[in-house]
Amino acid sequence: MNKPVSRNVVDAFYKAYAARDADKVAPFIHDDVEWTISGPVDFLPFCGTHRGKANILDLIRHGVPRVLRTYSFVPETIVIDGDQVAMLSRQSARRTADGRAICYRVANIMRFRDDKVIENFSLIDSYDVVEQVLGQQLMVAGGAGAGNGGLVAV
Amino acid sequence: MTKPVPRSVVEGFYKALASADFATLDPYLHEDVVWTISGPVDVLPFCGPRHGKELVLKLLDRDIPVFLEKRRLIPSAMLIDGDRVAVFGKLMASRGDIGRRISYHIAQFVRFENEKVVEYVSLIDSFDAVEQVLGKQITAPGSIRAGDGELVAI
Repeated sequence: MNKPVSRNVVDAFYKAYAARDADKVAPFIHDDVEWTISGPVDFLPFCGTHRGKANILDLIRHGVPRVLRTYSFVPETIVIDGDQVAMLSRQSARRTADGRAICYRVANIMRFRDDKVIENFSLIDSYDVVEQVLGQQLMVAGGAGAGNGGLVAV
Repeated sequence: MTKPVPRSVVEGFYKALASADFATLDPYLHEDVVWTISGPVDVLPFCGPRHGKELVLKLLDRDIPVFLEKRRLIPSAMLIDGDRVAVFGKLMASRGDIGRRISYHIAQFVRFENEKVVEYVSLIDSFDAVEQVLGKQITAPGSIRAGDGELVAI
């Protein structure tokens, strides 16, 4: 384990990250960071694994805003244990294409090294996010949801 | 914040949860526990909130096993901070009817009160989970997945 990260550092990072201000986030990102967002890359192009500080800052500046523009990122829970931090947040955004409002929860698990994020894994309720981003209900090929009257056979 | 939860209690709770021994799990649950699994309720009926110990035990003992058997959490991180706990990992399970193995990412945020779980929130990579549970690819009406050669219009 690396040295523990202080709550002050986590709070400062969160404030910069919530504002989606890449210049203010930059000092908290390790050069060798690995940043993963779970979800279907073919529907949500910002998902997947991104490596290196420059790529992460580009993701914040350009990658995510191509799809949605976040205007609120509110923490529900922040858990700090040694060099690891887990955050549960509610993210509110607007689709870049038409301004439609989107809201979902995000979980982040991060590891800090020398007060910088060296590893992040973001987990989202990806089915819900894809439906909101596409603005339509998803369909399971050849299947029916329980809400359609027939319980899916699983 | 209520009083901190000892690591031994957290480990005892997860051991009971993993063993599916509900007599052992019972004392770890607060009478007013709220247990929420994020995800599309119409496709995965075990998602959504459950209020009260009785409904939570029914969820774990009967509702989820209808869909997923032999559930096993493979944690990659367990963080404890005061009365709050965060666990990240992969949930492994099988669909008993067809013997398919399933695994998806999960993040759990748990709050303890007097050494009992009073709040549980889990986020799952629900898009991935639905495709695996149903064994079918998800599509959106009128859209083309980027994996098929074109980027969806978002």
